[in-house]
Amino acid sequence: MSNKFLPKPIVLQLFRRLRVQGFRLGINEYLAALDAIDGGFGASDLASLRQMLTMLWCHSIDEQRQFAKIFTEIPAQSSPIERIDKNDPPVARSQSNSPAKPPEPLPPAHSTTETQSEKSVEPEFSPVPWQSPLLPMDGEDLPELHTYHPLSRRSMAYGWRFLSRKVAVGVPDVLNVTATVQKAARQGFFLAPVYQRRLVNLAKVLILVDRGGSMTPLHRFTRDFVETALLPGVFPEDSVLVGYFHNFPTDYLYEDERLTMPRVAAELLAECDAETSVLIVSDAGAARGFRRMERIRKTTDFLVKLKRQSNLICWLNPLPIERWQGSSAEVIAYLVQMEQMNADGLGNAIDVVRGQTVDGISRRVA
Amino acid sequence: MSNAKRYTFTGDSSHRPPDSHDDAPHKAEPYLADPELIEAVNLAIYLRRPLLLEGEAGCGKTRLASAVAYELGLPLYRWNIRSDTKALEGQYTYDAILRLYDVQTKQFDINPPRDPSDVQAYCKLGAIGKAFELVDRPAVVLIDEIDKADQDFPNDLLTVLDQPWSFFIPETNQTIQATPGNEPIVIVTSNKEKGNLPAPFLRRCIYHFVKFPDDPQRLQEIVAQHYRDREAKAQPKSSLITEASKRFLAVRQAKSWVKTPGTSEFLDWVEALQNFAAKPYGLEKLKSEELLPYRDLLFKLRADWQLYGKKA
Repeated sequence: MSNKFLPKPIVLQLFRRLRVQGFRLGINEYLAALDAIDGGFGASDLASLRQMLTMLWCHSIDEQRQFAKIFTEIPAQSSPIERIDKNDPPVARSQSNSPAKPPEPLPPAHSTTETQSEKSVEPEFSPVPWQSPLLPMDGEDLPELHTYHPLSRRSMAYGWRFLSRKVAVGVPDVLNVTATVQKAARQGFFLAPVYQRRLVNLAKVLILVDRGGSMTPLHRFTRDFVETALLPGVFPEDSVLVGYFHNFPTDYLYEDERLTMPRVAAELLAECDAETSVLIVSDAGAARGFRRMERIRKTTDFLVKLKRQSNLICWLNPLPIERWQGSSAEVIAYLVQMEQMNADGLGNAIDVVRGQTVDGISRRVA
Repeated sequence: MSNAKRYTFTGDSSHRPPDSHDDAPHKAEPYLADPELIEAVNLAIYLRRPLLLEGEAGCGKTRLASAVAYELGLPLYRWNIRSDTKALEGQYTYDAILRLYDVQTKQFDINPPRDPSDVQAYCKLGAIGKAFELVDRPAVVLIDEIDKADQDFPNDLLTVLDQPWSFFIPETNQTIQATPGNEPIVIVTSNKEKGNLPAPFLRRCIYHFVKFPDDPQRLQEIVAQHYRDREAKAQPKSSLITEASKRFLAVRQAKSWVKTPGTSEFLDWVEALQNFAAKPYGLEKLKSEELLPYRDLLFKLRADWQLYGKKA
């Protein structure tokens, strides 16, 4: 048992494994871990190594949980206690070469956090201001639920900021300090402060969202999409119009996401002007993969009406571009700029509805 | 980093060096850090990466910074983040208006308070700026409630809190750089109130989740620590603390509160039990009563308050 504990090969192996698992770690984080080991952190045994790496590499309770699981697998394979030959690269060995002394089983990290979240809760009525439970369970990052995650709420909120049209309006009432000082310096005396007009975001947005049916599994994203646009401070008040539809937009749109309050589409369109940015969120039939003439025709009718109001239109398709092929989405993508609803696609869409041309490459399905 | 003095936090305030800095906290911070947290602090000090603390409100995230600064005798610069805080404010602020004003009043004022030709008089360093200026030792910089700020804020900080640990002030044409080896120890707290922090920022940080001490023994130690440095106040009897922590933990675990009472609520509540009335709250009474006394201190939301009342 006097064998020396060699943490560095384990660190390398873990680092590579975690990167595969989607941990956002850079080479700097790897070097920092080596640095920490040189400084005596986590250099004594597996438990302390685990603790150190958890602090350095995991940035949420979820990641800590994933890490704990991966950690129990890795050292069991490399078995650092037997390994003294440094030249031997610590690649995973076959299971037959099972370690003589498996590392002490680490307690699953669940125990502490789960007790908090899975605390027995009797269902009860309570007054309204109910908030989502506190941080430990931002369960959205659980690996088992990691199926489709096209666009995070954060990147939506971030994307909206680029859709602003700043115009100087009203009476000049904002003090321009630099210009004032410069003017005073040029004249040699101070006469009057220099004012400028206030920059106001005059962007106007119409969001049309497909609800129900094939869009049901994506409701979370569309809800986030609308919510982030309506956050205070993102756009000026009353400048975001939202309409909901089922499958394809028709002469009637809905005001609520449950599709219970119909509204004549022409009324909503009348509120738009040539500067209004229009974003349509729908799978356009790509989810089920059908190509239906009715859908295409109805959508075309609507788009023609829409284009009389504004040409700043972009279609956001939450399904990956490979799925558009052969479905109605492929056809609709010829009628209107269609972008996949991921971070890149949102960026392009925002550019389109701002009136900027996207780079020459056509993103439409060939 | 190798030739500089290595600082180690132990969680014991008696290790304070005699030559502590003037800006260091003068009052000992009663703080009981668990070993994992101590390790995290030391790792952050060693690697000079920001230590990001998350956890429920009232679990002592903010207090840790003064405990660290007190024990190591290092100056503490606290930077409270508001929703309109800009990253630049932590480095410096430049008061152009005051300078303009001084230029104007100079001809009438015989003894002007500042000389407008001296640009330095209008440049004030922020928490990070002050920490960078220290030559002989690192400073502890507390960036409190970073999640309150704008989304870009943490990313703006990144460039400053990394090699080469310097920033430029165009107004004075100066570069402020931290002394190598004495880069500040940065402690960041967050409530995750407005969603996640950006990934590039997280990647740089050492992350620790401050848990509530769900153990009566631990709670008692915290109370003892809390009262040790405050001799003026009468310390509650240990039997009262035992009973209080037992009941408190039961309440904490009983229901899913909207805002679960934390350590700071508990300490306030113990203080009320002990010193609010003419004499401490009766032990038997506390044991037998169904509803806790002074529940105003524990529940801060209408929903919780009503839920607790209904339970009885």
